[in-house]
Amino acid sequence: MSSSSAPPIAAHGLVREFGDVRAVDGVDLEVAEGEIFGFLGPNGAGKSTTVRMLTTLLRPTDGTASVAGFDVVREPARVRASIGVALQDAAIDPLMTGRELLHLQATLYGIGRRAGRDRSEVLLDRVGLTEAADRLVGGYSGGMRRRLDLALALMHEPAVLFLDEPTTGLDPMSRLNLWGEVRRLNTELGTTVFLTTQYLEEADELAHRVAIIDHGTIVREGTPATLKSEVGLPTLLIDVDPGDEERTHEALVGVGEPRPARAGRVAVGLYAGAAGAADAVRALDAAGISIHHMELNTPSLDDVFAEATGRRLEGAAEAAAEDAS
Amino acid sequence: MSAAVDSTAAVTSGHTFTQGVALSHRAILRFARQPSSWIPATVFPLLLVAVNSSAMGGVASIPGVIPPGTTFLMFLLPAAIIQGVMFGGINGGSELATDIQGGFFDRLVASPVSRPAILIGRLAGAMAFGLVQAIFFQVVLLPFGAEVRGGIPGRLVLLVVAVLLSLGLGSIAAGLAARTGQPEAVQGFFPLIFILLFLSSAFFPTQLMSGWYQRLAELNPITWMVDGMRVQVLEEFSPSAAAVSIGVCLGICVIGMTFATRQLQRRLAVAS
Repeated sequence: MSSSSAPPIAAHGLVREFGDVRAVDGVDLEVAEGEIFGFLGPNGAGKSTTVRMLTTLLRPTDGTASVAGFDVVREPARVRASIGVALQDAAIDPLMTGRELLHLQATLYGIGRRAGRDRSEVLLDRVGLTEAADRLVGGYSGGMRRRLDLALALMHEPAVLFLDEPTTGLDPMSRLNLWGEVRRLNTELGTTVFLTTQYLEEADELAHRVAIIDHGTIVREGTPATLKSEVGLPTLLIDVDPGDEERTHEALVGVGEPRPARAGRVAVGLYAGAAGAADAVRALDAAGISIHHMELNTPSLDDVFAEATGRRLEGAAEAAAEDAS
Repeated sequence: MSAAVDSTAAVTSGHTFTQGVALSHRAILRFARQPSSWIPATVFPLLLVAVNSSAMGGVASIPGVIPPGTTFLMFLLPAAIIQGVMFGGINGGSELATDIQGGFFDRLVASPVSRPAILIGRLAGAMAFGLVQAIFFQVVLLPFGAEVRGGIPGRLVLLVVAVLLSLGLGSIAAGLAARTGQPEAVQGFFPLIFILLFLSSAFFPTQLMSGWYQRLAELNPITWMVDGMRVQVLEEFSPSAAAVSIGVCLGICVIGMTFATRQLQRRLAVAS
């Protein structure tokens, strides 16, 4: 049953299995009203499976979840009527125009013809697609499709909006535009947003609170600032000759704690903070290790991810995209 | 937050009809905007009729095969309509698979759209195309002598059969689409239907066939359907012949709709 005091999104022990694979393994989360909640993780971590369960597209194997106060299994129709969903890859019919799709969306949500047409114009204006409204979507750029997808999801002014990797594959400018729009609708309308992303910067920029999911389990949860402060130490990244990583770590034993990094690079959390960088340089010089590149990073969500999982998320999305192409 | 509509009410009150109409409108628009869908479905039957009427036109001169004063083109008119409908119906089902593959189906399922409306929208599009084709073939073949002796009632029978057959074949194709989610799998169904058409009286009179082929053709329900249509074209409006044709179509519709509904329910069962 719906309850006015219930959080817009809540999940307890949510599990989804596909045969022997446990794609989501006991997810607990709660999203507060008016919050932008970032669900961060690499490809295959369980983000989209979780979203599909929360949006009633997939029945959970175990656990419970409610959205807008309605149980996703017992009251799926009420959940669907309360949410806006923009799924991964912007599944928009390329043979329809933007305006036609908005009118169709209005009908599907039971909005009257006139109200639907008025609302379509408002939304087209909002996402900057008025001029392109009568063009077939097949001719839209990736950014335009995402903005139309967002407009479609907002047609019935949903209380809760699910955005599944809304900027994957977009150029930087389109990504910034979409971020601005998500921020604006959250600020102006108070819409609760559940955003999955594999981009650290996106979660950092947009989300009030972030949950990091890996192998179907939430490994960290909190505000970006809190999570980063928990990692604590700034990270010194040093590029060395391939094969020198082990010697480098040995040379830096007293300077900082080892952190995960790619081959040819060594990462250490400096015990003395940023001031420890000079000690590191001296230690490496004394050990006769050549430094090709060095940079000092204050803690990022990638550090949080690395600290929680032992792997880096930075670059993983691009690498996955390259692998796929 | 003030919602533009009480969407929950929209769900509970049920908007199957308006949603079905809106989705049908989309299906028709998509069809019209994909010439690769309707050009073969229109041109191929005409070509086959042209080739067959030229190659086998002499059959018309054999006494007792077709009524005096009629032409082999008239004999082939039902075949042209059925072929066109087959193309259209299967394309309609294939479109559902395209929606599943492309993610539009998920968009529908995540909305409060009535589940029957998803199927109705797809099949209504196929039915509309079947109707247009049945009219088109009657009109375009008329100057070449393909009149319908059953007059307006006879022509209406041809239209009704076309629409019902579109629904029946469209639902079988939609069922395959729901089952597989792959347009290629649905298109793969087409040769089977085409073989059934060739194993019927659609292109050649059964009385001129022989052996197992003739026996198969006589047992083939498509023959019963075609023969019922042919009576309207070559002889006169016959309610009993119309009933046979329409009955066969309704049978296909029942089988197809049952199959499509079950497969759609199966696909939707993974959702909440």
